[in-house]
Amino acid sequence: MTSPLQRIAPYLQVAPLTLVLLIFFGVPLLVVLAVSFFDYDEFDIYPAFQLTNYLELWSPTSLNLYLQTITYALVTWALTLAIGFTVAYFLVFHVRSFIWQMALFLLCTVPFWTSNIIRMISWIPVLGRNGIVNQSLIAMGLAERPLEFLLFSDVAVVIAYVHLFTLFMIVPIFNSMARIDRSLIEAAVDGGASAWRVIWEVIIPLSKTGIALGSIFVLTLVMGDFFVVKIMSGGQSASVVLALSNEIAVLQYPPAAASAVILLIIVTLMVAAILRIVDVRKELAG
Amino acid sequence: MTKRHHGKRPWTFYALAAFFTLFVLFLYGPMFAIYILSFQGPSGGLTFPMQGFSFDWFSALVGQQRTGDIKGAFGRSIALACIVLSLTVVFSVLAGVAFRRRFLGSSIVFYMAIASLIMPGLLISLGVGLMFQFLGFQPNWYSSALGAQLTWTLPFGLLIMFAVFNRFNRSYEEAARDLSASTRQTYQYVVLPILLPGIIAVALFGFTLSYDEFPRTLLTVGPRNTLPLEIWVMTTNVTSPALYALGTVTTAVSFLVITLALGSIALIQRRRSRLVDMSLPAAAASEG
Amino acid sequence: MENSVAKKRAGTSRRKISRRKFLKGTGAAAGLAAGAVTGFPTIWAQNIKDITLLQVGGSYSSIIDIAREATKDLGFKIEMQNLASDALVNRIATQPESLDIADIEYWMQTKLAPRGVLQGIDLKRFKYWDKVVPIFTKGEYPDGRKVSDQGTLPYEVQYLEAQDGTAFAKGPTDWASGIPTVFNADTLGMRPDIITRPIENWKELLNPEFKGKTAIIDVPAIGVMDAALAIESRGDIKYGDKGNMTKEEIDKTIAILIDAKKSGQFRAFWTTFDESVNLMASGEVVIQSMWSPAVTAVRARNIPCYYTPLKEGYRAWASNSAPMRHLTGLKLDAAYEYLNWHQSGWQGGFIAKQGYYSSVPETAKQFMSEDEWNYWYEGKPAKSEIKDPYGSHMENAGHVRDGGSFWERMGNVACWNTVMDENRYMVQKWNEFISA
Repeated sequence: MTSPLQRIAPYLQVAPLTLVLLIFFGVPLLVVLAVSFFDYDEFDIYPAFQLTNYLELWSPTSLNLYLQTITYALVTWALTLAIGFTVAYFLVFHVRSFIWQMALFLLCTVPFWTSNIIRMISWIPVLGRNGIVNQSLIAMGLAERPLEFLLFSDVAVVIAYVHLFTLFMIVPIFNSMARIDRSLIEAAVDGGASAWRVIWEVIIPLSKTGIALGSIFVLTLVMGDFFVVKIMSGGQSASVVLALSNEIAVLQYPPAAASAVILLIIVTLMVAAILRIVDVRKELAG
Repeated sequence: MTKRHHGKRPWTFYALAAFFTLFVLFLYGPMFAIYILSFQGPSGGLTFPMQGFSFDWFSALVGQQRTGDIKGAFGRSIALACIVLSLTVVFSVLAGVAFRRRFLGSSIVFYMAIASLIMPGLLISLGVGLMFQFLGFQPNWYSSALGAQLTWTLPFGLLIMFAVFNRFNRSYEEAARDLSASTRQTYQYVVLPILLPGIIAVALFGFTLSYDEFPRTLLTVGPRNTLPLEIWVMTTNVTSPALYALGTVTTAVSFLVITLALGSIALIQRRRSRLVDMSLPAAAASEG
Repeated sequence: MENSVAKKRAGTSRRKISRRKFLKGTGAAAGLAAGAVTGFPTIWAQNIKDITLLQVGGSYSSIIDIAREATKDLGFKIEMQNLASDALVNRIATQPESLDIADIEYWMQTKLAPRGVLQGIDLKRFKYWDKVVPIFTKGEYPDGRKVSDQGTLPYEVQYLEAQDGTAFAKGPTDWASGIPTVFNADTLGMRPDIITRPIENWKELLNPEFKGKTAIIDVPAIGVMDAALAIESRGDIKYGDKGNMTKEEIDKTIAILIDAKKSGQFRAFWTTFDESVNLMASGEVVIQSMWSPAVTAVRARNIPCYYTPLKEGYRAWASNSAPMRHLTGLKLDAAYEYLNWHQSGWQGGFIAKQGYYSSVPETAKQFMSEDEWNYWYEGKPAKSEIKDPYGSHMENAGHVRDGGSFWERMGNVACWNTVMDENRYMVQKWNEFISA
């Protein structure tokens, strides 16, 4: 017997979040949608309804741009998943006290309280031709000449992405894993399963919500980035949002808006694909 | 909930611990350059070699000369991050609880949160700024920038709550109900304590995401910059190890705060378990 | 007004003391008393002290020390906020009422003035217009030669047809779109200890001899002009206007850039000032487009760096200040007061020590020591150590400013910073280049 209060409770609970999103996201979204159809010239934008901005996006450059950005996203996703899963596994199953789990977790977050910008700049003295890494490699005899590809390259971009975003994979997986009933694992072990089988057939399926959510985080973060790729590639690689920001820098809003709408559609489709594999919301109610 | 094993740890523990150590070293990698270079001599710059050793850059942080308004921006960023932290935790936890049931419009809210995550921050800050201009309000870090940052942290908070509630064992709730606890008591004494680690994660995310946030704040901040904006504009024109000094100071302060927090939690836990130990014999004596 | 007379007298004697302080090399922030700038304040309104003016601009020109000094001298508050240029132009265009004074580059005038967010300046109320260098007021050099109009020549967007005008006038009128404040001529920086032969042409940027050790600034509108200067120097293309290329010119330029990129010519395209300094100081790069203060920053670390004067000329840029349209009444009066103060010399002396020029050198000269003036403007050797506004060492005695005197440098401008008409096409091709 659900009382009236109980029936409207979810609506009241979700109201603050919804309100904030409607005002601060919904309104800009509508504006962006409208402006994406506008006309413009060097000096101003003019209300209109034309598809030119969208049609101009259908070009080899754009497709190349999306290809590059999606490649970055997939490579980063794979690496953060592997690293993030391992670290979460370690924290959940091998660290014994709650305090230690918190402590180690917080240890990982402290670098994030130094601004991203400062950390990005400081990769140069670390990865550069005369940086710490190269100097150590040469001193240890592992390399004859400095490894130039460590900085201002795709490798550097991926290193920076993994550096920044692995934590976003660790947190959801940790939370999912922590709630796995230990008796299930004990049952599997008692039934003769090796450690690998336990991981593959028990732990991974039971933490798939965490994996799905972490993947959504990493994917959207990489697809939406313009700053990391600009600095770490030395301006020699592109991303979709970087191209967009170049247009905003000269007040050319309509093509930037169209680009944003397309990005929104494409990444939402990617997220929907992930959610089709793991129905995150069903897991909640279960 | 955690059984205490007093046996030997398997080899996998050491392997994984080594991996974890490497990971932490990787996370701290650029920080080492920052720590060392923040003690750079007065004529030094942002790369090696070190040109002498000095505390100049730490004092430059506190003054307001060539470093721009770092002190003010820092204060604003911290205050804003604390507000964002609180609102994100409250709104996300509430919404997470709401999503445990199917309600009308839940899909729309869910996909709106996802879309808010995907939307490039630059356009959100443009849109919010335009909205404020149109309505005649002055943009400010505690109004327009706050709202814009929430569009970033709330989706994270909501999705983490999904992970938190995932595999949440309802039997604890049912047990509490069976013992005739009200809904409020169930939440206060059973559900939230169990979910506490997850909620702390949401809080940490809210704080860190806000503290580091750049695109959404860029055009909504009003007449005074937050720290990321101030740092960015400085790096476009000024080379200053004062930035590195800032990194060292924030790290030192964070470690201090964390040690104090965890230390006090450990103390509380130990006192609680001692109380339990002390009360048991008395209870046993009164029983028997 | 006895107060202003008394302040004038006090100001004169204090000015002598402060000059001595400059000679001793103390930082400018140390102890310049109020009223040290003669003639200010001139407004004696009761409630002017309640006025606050917010100036928003780049960190190289909207400097907090200037705000402090202005507040001291003027009796009302000046505040500064720094934004990078893409955020700046967007903020001014979409939130015009959230700031009072716009500190912008001249090319931004082409985007902002037509939108009606700025206010024309009544030149009758500005005291120093006839003392501003003729580059801005007439578009020509003192000998009558016309300044190169490739790119956005400030003179072309300097005057408005009417105060509320959104159209630029072809010649001098009574209404200015902005007061020129800070400007400089940019060129390539190089390591003379690594490159031992003289560098004299822009084409050296594309010289395979420096493969993998060159860099260009990562802003498309500026980077493409540096590239164009190099390409034209090499003889591949002869541009009509490097600052306003046609589609064919853009195609050819980007094609050459893609070739250079694929053959590994460029080490990086730098985004931040620090990067450019680090690239040069660490030796990752031996020749690159740079800004003047970056060159001095490298030299301050005892690493040789030379800002090469090149035969084809410099790429120049200039900033100007404009009041926002919404200013009226007392606030507008305060704005004029501030603009006049700004060009009355203190600010000019301050920025000169960072290597930038003031549009009214005459007044700036009064706030620099003779040695500093000779070094920064006259291109003469420094008699003693040259220091920056904060007292740090910049150049040793005996050094001559790279490129020489003001007219040697500003007299050889090839083009001005700009955003070209075909910018949308150019950015598309630039995106193609960076994704190649």
